[in-house]
Amino acid sequence: MRLERYELKAEASLTIFEFVSEGPNGKIRKVVQFEETNFKGVYNLAFGDVDPTTEKINDSVISNNKDSEKVLATVVSAIYAFTGRYPGVWIYAAGSTKSRTRLYRMGLTKFLAEITEDFYLYGQRNVNWIFFEKGVEYEAFLAKRKNV
Amino acid sequence: MRHFLLSEKMFKFVYMKMKDFKKIKSPVVRIDNSLERYKGKIISQEKLDKANDMLKTVGLPKAGK
Repeated sequence: MRLERYELKAEASLTIFEFVSEGPNGKIRKVVQFEETNFKGVYNLAFGDVDPTTEKINDSVISNNKDSEKVLATVVSAIYAFTGRYPGVWIYAAGSTKSRTRLYRMGLTKFLAEITEDFYLYGQRNVNWIFFEKGVEYEAFLAKRKNV
Repeated sequence: MRHFLLSEKMFKFVYMKMKDFKKIKSPVVRIDNSLERYKGKIISQEKLDKANDMLKTVGLPKAGK
């Protein structure tokens, strides 16, 4: 993926990542976290902005820092780092709202060729997982890295 | 000889491309232990519960199928 990305920091287990978005709204700390689900080897991708006063992570805020492509590329880098450390895991992702899920879909569509080179990528429709295709709406996404 | 030089150039080109590609897919991550403070904290319990419910209902696909 030939895109600009932000510098990533992580704790030693590479499950929590942080980077700083820079744009017209200033510097915004963002956290990417791979949360364990009730299913072994399946992780929920959580992503949000750090509130500088409370230090809490807000996953529904719209930062509008005009760097969505760079942010997305950085999140993808975090996925590469995580799945490089833990091969064989599944990553589940869904937006906090329908519009945010659509935003994720647009991002995935943009880099589909690069992503599918290294990941099996599925979209959820009703009660089925189907291979991700351009132009189809999904409720959630699931990815598994091909052989690392 | 000319053919050999061309092949060498091609080899270098492919090698550089591969190196570049590898760099992209192996991001540099700086370890910062202060991020441990987020450990065990769920960003959105509602979203995680929703993911668990959905995975319970739909299950997982067979990778590659």
